[in-house]
Amino acid sequence: MLKRPERLTLLGVVLWALRIGIVAGVVVGAWATLSSGGLSGGTWITLLTAGLSQGAIYALIALGYTLVYGVLLMINFAHGEVFMLGAFSGMFVANALLSADGFLVTYPLLGLLGVFAAAMLTSMLVALVLERVAYRPLRRAPRLVPLITAIGASLFLQYTAFGMFGSRTRRYPPVELLSGRVDIFGFSFQRIEIITIVAALVLMALLFYFVERTRTGRAMRAVSEDKDVAALMGINVDRTIVITFAIGGLLAGAAGVLYSLLFNRVDFGMGILPGIKAFTAAVLGGIGSVTGAVVGGILIGILENVGPSLLLFGLGVPSPNQLRDVVAFSVLVLVLIFRPTGLFGRKENV
Amino acid sequence: MEPLARAAVRRAILVGGVVGAATVYMCMVGLVGAFAARPLIAGVGGEGPGIVTLGLVMLAAVPFLAGMTVASRLRSATTNASGALAVGCAALSGLVGGVLLAAFTLIANAVPLNGVFIPVTPTLVDILTFEQGPVVGPILLTIVATVAGAIGGAIQLLDSRDRRAILSGIGIVLLLALLKPIVDPILAGLELDAVRDFLFSAGGLSQAAAALTLALVVGLSWAWGRPAAPLRDRMRSMPAEHRRRVGLALAAIGIAALLILPQISTGFVSLVLVNVGFYLMLALGLNIVVGYAGLLDLGYVAFYAVGAYTMAILISPSSSLDGPITALVGPEWAFWLAIPIVMLVTALVGILIGAPVLRLRGDYLAIVTLGFGEIARILFGSDALRNWVGGPNGVVGLPNLHLPVLGELTGPGEYFYPVMAFAAFAAFVAWRLSNSRTGRAWNALREDESVAQATGVNTTNYKLLAFALGGTLGGLSGALFAVQLRTVFPGSFLLIVSITVLAIIILGGMGTIRGVIVGALILVGLPDALREFGEYRFLVYGAALVAMMILRPEGLFPSKTRRAELHEDVDVDDRPQLAASGEATA
Amino acid sequence: MTAPVTTPAQPDGEEPDAQQGMILEVRGLTKRFDGLVANKDIDFDIPRRSIVSIIGPNGAGKTTLFNQISGFFEPTEGTIVFDGIPLGGLAPHDVVELGMARTYQNIRLFQNMTVIGNVLVGHHVRMKSQWWQAILGLRSVREEEERSRAYALELLDMVSLSRRYAEDLAKNLPYGDQRRLEIARALASGPKLLLLDEPTAGMNPMETRQMTDLIAKLRRELGLTILLIEHDMKVVMGVSERITVLDYGEKIAEGTPQEIRTNPKVIEAYLGKQATA
Repeated sequence: MLKRPERLTLLGVVLWALRIGIVAGVVVGAWATLSSGGLSGGTWITLLTAGLSQGAIYALIALGYTLVYGVLLMINFAHGEVFMLGAFSGMFVANALLSADGFLVTYPLLGLLGVFAAAMLTSMLVALVLERVAYRPLRRAPRLVPLITAIGASLFLQYTAFGMFGSRTRRYPPVELLSGRVDIFGFSFQRIEIITIVAALVLMALLFYFVERTRTGRAMRAVSEDKDVAALMGINVDRTIVITFAIGGLLAGAAGVLYSLLFNRVDFGMGILPGIKAFTAAVLGGIGSVTGAVVGGILIGILENVGPSLLLFGLGVPSPNQLRDVVAFSVLVLVLIFRPTGLFGRKENV
Repeated sequence: MEPLARAAVRRAILVGGVVGAATVYMCMVGLVGAFAARPLIAGVGGEGPGIVTLGLVMLAAVPFLAGMTVASRLRSATTNASGALAVGCAALSGLVGGVLLAAFTLIANAVPLNGVFIPVTPTLVDILTFEQGPVVGPILLTIVATVAGAIGGAIQLLDSRDRRAILSGIGIVLLLALLKPIVDPILAGLELDAVRDFLFSAGGLSQAAAALTLALVVGLSWAWGRPAAPLRDRMRSMPAEHRRRVGLALAAIGIAALLILPQISTGFVSLVLVNVGFYLMLALGLNIVVGYAGLLDLGYVAFYAVGAYTMAILISPSSSLDGPITALVGPEWAFWLAIPIVMLVTALVGILIGAPVLRLRGDYLAIVTLGFGEIARILFGSDALRNWVGGPNGVVGLPNLHLPVLGELTGPGEYFYPVMAFAAFAAFVAWRLSNSRTGRAWNALREDESVAQATGVNTTNYKLLAFALGGTLGGLSGALFAVQLRTVFPGSFLLIVSITVLAIIILGGMGTIRGVIVGALILVGLPDALREFGEYRFLVYGAALVAMMILRPEGLFPSKTRRAELHEDVDVDDRPQLAASGEATA
Repeated sequence: MTAPVTTPAQPDGEEPDAQQGMILEVRGLTKRFDGLVANKDIDFDIPRRSIVSIIGPNGAGKTTLFNQISGFFEPTEGTIVFDGIPLGGLAPHDVVELGMARTYQNIRLFQNMTVIGNVLVGHHVRMKSQWWQAILGLRSVREEEERSRAYALELLDMVSLSRRYAEDLAKNLPYGDQRRLEIARALASGPKLLLLDEPTAGMNPMETRQMTDLIAKLRRELGLTILLIEHDMKVVMGVSERITVLDYGEKIAEGTPQEIRTNPKVIEAYLGKQATA
């Protein structure tokens, strides 16, 4: 593929104007907010922890995107729905455990593990079915075909959930262990936020270990580098791809439970926005890079929680938090326009 | 058992598994339940909806189609299995599927599943057991599935002419029954009550009408397919010029029929057609961006929104600018004067969206445009911009559209005409562009961007042009939408609109206008006409996208180029008739 | 052949550079890719109406040189002057408009477009119909289309591609015909300089001879200057007037076929030091 040369064009000027405008906007907005002193330190801490916990969840989902993109060079648009279905099944198990003479109440830890297991298993199954039915037949198709299929699959799964589970927003049953606040270093945090961060870190650590230290993990990395060469070296590419989807599914399922506990809701459309934001995170960190997905996820979480208040409060914009999604989408757009390889990504011809 | 038979049986069982999974899925997701109340052929099997309901037909269709595919595989030229084996395996796949479905029915009867799966209600169980209880019912169900599979297989045993005749017959009968909500009001409007009474009764097609239609279509199709059919041969041997004239005549009749349609049917039909018109224009516009220039835009709804909001702000007296155009020329001309402004604004937006993404390839381009679309949606509905675009409440109070001589338009029946006119205009523009130097440049750009550039095509300009022109058509649709609804609010501009428009193009075949029209009719017209569809239409969109990509990525009516892009083709040297055909058509 | 070709516009009314009749002058051309030097400090000229070949072992940087000349890559250093006009900063399509066209080593036709469609895209720069004129269906647009189609068919004749194939898809053509179609597409832009990248690759002796005849014909009948990259020495020696030799990105020799054939540096580059030792 021949590279486009660099030259000074109208386009170049527009992009530079955009860069300058954004930097100026950020600086002005932040300065206005901080100098107005309208938001207390406590508020910032709250926003920051919210950002960290949500970011951790995005990271878990982003890992699924980045792993699949690494091996298949495709965007698994339906990954948000994998996340959503995990959340639902976790909810059903939680409700069941709660009603069956309060198993969840008597043995909360075991019960929660069961909920997580159910969610992670469901998500994994959905991911595997997706791979087998929708993606594998299209391995050799031109680029856009798998993307369109993924969009179709995403739509299909959403409305399957709608048909099966209804449009009403549900919630997880309250769990003693997870509610309330906890004090660390004199600051008060929501317990669920801390638990989310810890749980996500544990899972990410497990993933790191798996990818770096095990044979299968090595195989995954080899397939990401070069599918054909990996096959020549004796790696079962199909099996590796299946495992990649499975892992992505497991992580998404866990994320589903954490998300539902954090936001206290489950509904059939819950995967759309987190899915896109997690994808943004993967791109921000460098799609294909595991570290990138984690860093990207946390960054996105923080940016969308802290950003609106930081940038818009001082400028007197009403309801800045309505625009938190705009922050995420803007990051997506800007990263893809200006630095598509992201922070840790490989140099690739975009 | 010989190996072929063994493999065939194994395969049939596998297919049966898929049948079982699909039918159970249809039950669990609520499709069967929702459509079981819609009778297709009235009165078959007792009072009320009877058994030939859409729900049950959908269920039976699965083993039927599975049986057809199983048998066709076995009867192909390479695997010339016996008829008995083919039908046997087809029946087997139906049987396996039926057993699975019956098992599900028994479970659903015993265990209250609707705590988790809402549609799995006792009513559903009744439907599945034909109200014969938990013992007889499942057995009946299995038998129905097996028979459906067997029939599907048996059909493959017929020669292609007979098969086509029967399938057409069944298809037309089902279609006619499905379209009752459209046909019935039309007949009422034409005051053909006798025909109405004959055709429809108790909510569905009457048995007599069904039988008659079946016989007619089968007979006609069979006659058409005869080796020495005088009418068909005469039609085929007509010179091209003649054929074109016949085609034009038919088209003229079709258009005339379309034009009087709103006058002779209810507002419901007009509303459906108006909605189809909006989506058709959107699809024609997106077709320029995606189909011609190859730029996958997932944020196309932004143009729809910009067009609608621009029109609203310009002509509504209660907008943030107090409707300057209305103030200027009055409500009669407001729309028409605002249209060029809307077109200009959306074209500019197109260029603004296109400029930053010029360097991006396929999937990244898609995601960025999706981002733009979502940013637009959120901003339009936000409090931050409330003073300009009205926030969650949007803009209200647009004046009605006025036509020059005919005055003010009210109701979908009258809006139908300008919407169709604009859609025709959009189709005309798209058609002219596709066959021009510009269209060729877009094709080249889509095929191989670097080479196109190195061959002399200014790819930057043509990409921007595609966004601008495609966006303008989308904006026009939005402007019409705003005026027809007389309000604009942000909830109308969701991501799902972009995806629906994309699905229309994909289904119909990217790059052809005929395909886009068919796509719009199927994906927007049909679900609108069948009220029970409701939200299930999105399920169908999703499934359609996946199925099309796997089975027929070029769409239903692809252009020559599109089909070629996605399939192997025949070498010219291997086509003897080309060598003998003489001069090429230059 | 009468072609509805508008003579390429000269900016600022400059006269084409008649100095030494050079249509292309390259000075100090260097191209670096992240540490790899693909072309290093190359100087060379192409006289008008001549046929010049560039040869060299694989990886010598020949195609990179083509890509820089045709405006595809921006040179890291050096200048290119085409027909008196410096090419620095021009986009590839501008270069085509000035009168340069090329073909590709591994055929890059618009595979899913028709044969005639491919040629018509080549003619794109010389046509004037705009999008809005097409929408309005103006007579000028129709006439231009007809003229262009007629011209395209004449071009098919010129490259000995049967008109029967006009409406077939490019990808269905046999290999040799695809190469010829690529040349027809390049000719459609009315170039003064034609760059052919390994035009006889993959051809049998008969097809090769047909190609060399075609190259000679193009120069003779159309007055084109032709720059070739070639590996087939018989073609190179047979059809070129001048040969430039590249190795490891640098020019190591230049001259007539006779001179090059006996140049020890060239022999060494192709066969290794032992051959001349």
